Amino acid sequence: MSTQRLPVTVVGGYLGAGKTTLVNHVLRSSNERIAVIVNDFGEVSIDEDLIVAADSDKLTLANGCICCTLADGFAAALMQIRSAGTLPQRLLIEASGVADPTQIAAYGHTPGLGLDAVVVMADAEQVRRQANDRWVADTVRLQLAAADLLVVNKIDLLDDASKADDLCDWLAGLSPGATVVRASRAAVPIDVLLGPLPASDAVDTPERPALERAAASRSHVVENLFESQTVVLDAPIAMPIIESLLADLPDGVVRLKGLLQAVPPASTEDASKTEAADTTAYLIEAVGKRTSMTPHPTDATQPPPRWAISLIAHKGALPPNWLAEGLARRG
Amino acid sequence: MGTPQPFVIYPARRVITINPAFPFGEAVAVAGDRILGVGSTDELASWGEHRIDDCFAEHVIMPGFVEAHCHVMSGGLWNSTYVGYFDRRDPQGQLWPGCTSIDDVLERLAKAAADMADDSQTLLAWGLDPIYFPGERLVARHLDTVTGDRPTLVLHASGHLATINSALMDRCGIDETATSPGVARGGDGLPNGELHEPAGMMLAGDAFVDMMKANRSEQARWRYANEARNAGHTLLTDLGTTQLWDPDQLNNWKKVTSDPTYPARVMVAMSNLFGSAADPAELAELCVQLKSEQTDKLRFGIVKLILDGSIQGFTARISWPHYYKPPPGHIGNGLWLTAPDQMADLVESYHRAGLTVHCHCNGDEASEVFIDAVEQVLERHPRWDHRHTVQHCQLTTPDQYRRMAALGMCANIFSNHIYYWGDQHRDATVGPERAARMDACGTALASGVSFSIHSDSPITPLGHLHTAWCAVNRVTASGQVLGPDERISVPDALRAITIEAARQIKMDAEIGSIEAGKLADFAVLEDDPLTADPMALRDIGIWGTVLGGVLQPAQISDA
Repeated sequence: MSTQRLPVTVVGGYLGAGKTTLVNHVLRSSNERIAVIVNDFGEVSIDEDLIVAADSDKLTLANGCICCTLADGFAAALMQIRSAGTLPQRLLIEASGVADPTQIAAYGHTPGLGLDAVVVMADAEQVRRQANDRWVADTVRLQLAAADLLVVNKIDLLDDASKADDLCDWLAGLSPGATVVRASRAAVPIDVLLGPLPASDAVDTPERPALERAAASRSHVVENLFESQTVVLDAPIAMPIIESLLADLPDGVVRLKGLLQAVPPASTEDASKTEAADTTAYLIEAVGKRTSMTPHPTDATQPPPRWAISLIAHKGALPPNWLAEGLARRG
Repeated sequence: MGTPQPFVIYPARRVITINPAFPFGEAVAVAGDRILGVGSTDELASWGEHRIDDCFAEHVIMPGFVEAHCHVMSGGLWNSTYVGYFDRRDPQGQLWPGCTSIDDVLERLAKAAADMADDSQTLLAWGLDPIYFPGERLVARHLDTVTGDRPTLVLHASGHLATINSALMDRCGIDETATSPGVARGGDGLPNGELHEPAGMMLAGDAFVDMMKANRSEQARWRYANEARNAGHTLLTDLGTTQLWDPDQLNNWKKVTSDPTYPARVMVAMSNLFGSAADPAELAELCVQLKSEQTDKLRFGIVKLILDGSIQGFTARISWPHYYKPPPGHIGNGLWLTAPDQMADLVESYHRAGLTVHCHCNGDEASEVFIDAVEQVLERHPRWDHRHTVQHCQLTTPDQYRRMAALGMCANIFSNHIYYWGDQHRDATVGPERAARMDACGTALASGVSFSIHSDSPITPLGHLHTAWCAVNRVTASGQVLGPDERISVPDALRAITIEAARQIKMDAEIGSIEAGKLADFAVLEDDPLTADPMALRDIGIWGTVLGGVLQPAQISDA
């Protein structure tokens, strides 16, 4: 029915950086029905209490999630996921500890899928040594450079704040396309990892529909390192405004996601009066330095989705109402 | 000690035993599946009631060749049409001449398409090596001219690329909107049918999955062994292709090898190369259990690990100065497929279970990491005679060979590379100096490291006389000698393809030489490799094999 693309999140990073902890955290904290693809069950240990049933090539998890391996290749894993019952709302691929996440992210371009973000984990205590290691320096640097979102994990193990600042600055230099976020025990707020809004109206779960979920993410403070801003759109918006917004995002923005109706430039004189037929629904996203704007097919038989843009920023990085004012100024 | 059962004496032009204490004989005597003895016909006759069979009177008998590194897909791939550059004989014995131009490839595909009854069936082909077609690239547009509407997939020799035709692109929804970096584009900016790496190849969907799953069938296992028999091999090592924890794959091995006519012994390595449901300790336990249930024809007890990629794919881990002339955009060095930090723990799991670890190491960084891991594990858990083996061992350095000798490690050297890619190694991958010391049998020998040589079939064709020819002559496809100082003698090469290969899979008590009490596994040759011109070693005809006393004539279906 829907031709919306299944969002793909790639989790990469060197051995011991906390990838598996992050995957377990996502499975525990997200309301989405997630399919996890791992390289190898031997490397990944899904927390036992999340596992409902296990067989040799598939784990059935709580909340309708499943976990498969790449044992027979990605095509076979995808077939397995598609035949397992209710379709997932997100695909999470955990790369092996030596994989180049860019290569894994290529799977996100399979028809029907859409790459959401490449999340790379770094071990705050070990990453400097690893990035200069005789054998793996180049591998680790390649991984860091592939990140959209670079999670500096185990930050609590560093003795003082200035060390953490130095480390994050240094990592930002190795990963120029990424937003750097800090975490302990991989506890990155779920909206930072997966985006501040549901990727589409199709991801509603009976337990927690999209509206309620979006409202929850409007809590302004996402734990204590981040804050969010949301603008609800009551009218279509001119395409150049959106393009300009995405082109000039300040560094403090960690993630941005929006579902909106955009009007092509020719008919922007009075956007609010434009007939719906002249507009196209788009999903806009920004993570790290990567931004995207993709047509978002809507189902005419369903109530229209809630048109809104949300962002998450490092706390204190943006003036309050930056998003609303930025849109107004550009308008 | 009792009277032997009635036995058979096979007089031969010569028996080459590979037993240094009794190197040659006039005849060999076989009782049941075992060798009763070797010597003169009279000496053997004195054992008692016997029959003399003169069928090998004009032949030379050697121990059956032992391949310690190949893959069962060399049987499965023959479900598809061969379009490789070099001549290759299929398991039915038919010779497929090499396709040495794009037109040859298209002609082969046109014929294959014409021979298919069902118009909707996908045409699958393998072995394409564009490195030999400089200039024009074979793309979908070419395929379309001979395949029409029939979906077609051609797997490249490297295994990292595939080229598909427009019909298959249509079926898989690959068009100008494709965003995958695995979809190659032509000068016009449109997808040209070439799919790169797993992320690209998987877009071919069923066609690709079907090609891979064909390797698990009983038919693939039969073809695998038929090819062995045709080349004089009596033992094949399936090194890391089978998922042994999958009951279907294991049972297919049990089923074919329990057939008394199955023409090879098979050592099936434990491997978690492509992911598995278990951790190394569990896999080690499974391997130990399988070993306790093994039969004469189906063997277990070795483990395959993998550290890096391939040299010709520029993905092997090579120490500074790294690659000589890598392609534009290359990241500087190869890829680790297992984290070096994990190696010692992985090796330890299998080492402590009493198993032998065989680790794929093409580049010298990979062999260094494996040797380091074995050394650490031996400090923690001393164990004699483990025979952990560096597989491929292509750029292993003299200092590394010295360490391997000290640690009791073996080498399985990929000599066929000298012929098939030696020119590319000299001109592009590693440059003249390091190419000259690649696949260093001479250094291994001088260092006292037990070594074998291998084909890695289907990567290169199975056939130990050819592999020995490569190690002895080091001649490349263009006819130049690469690294003459690493050449070894014919007798040393014959040891490498028999007793030394058996040694590194711990079967040297049973096979690998012709001695009283060992299994009666022979390669039966039309000429004598010790008196032939070394440059003619690979041209010696093969009558077939004897496997456990059973005659297995080669099947060659053309003149």
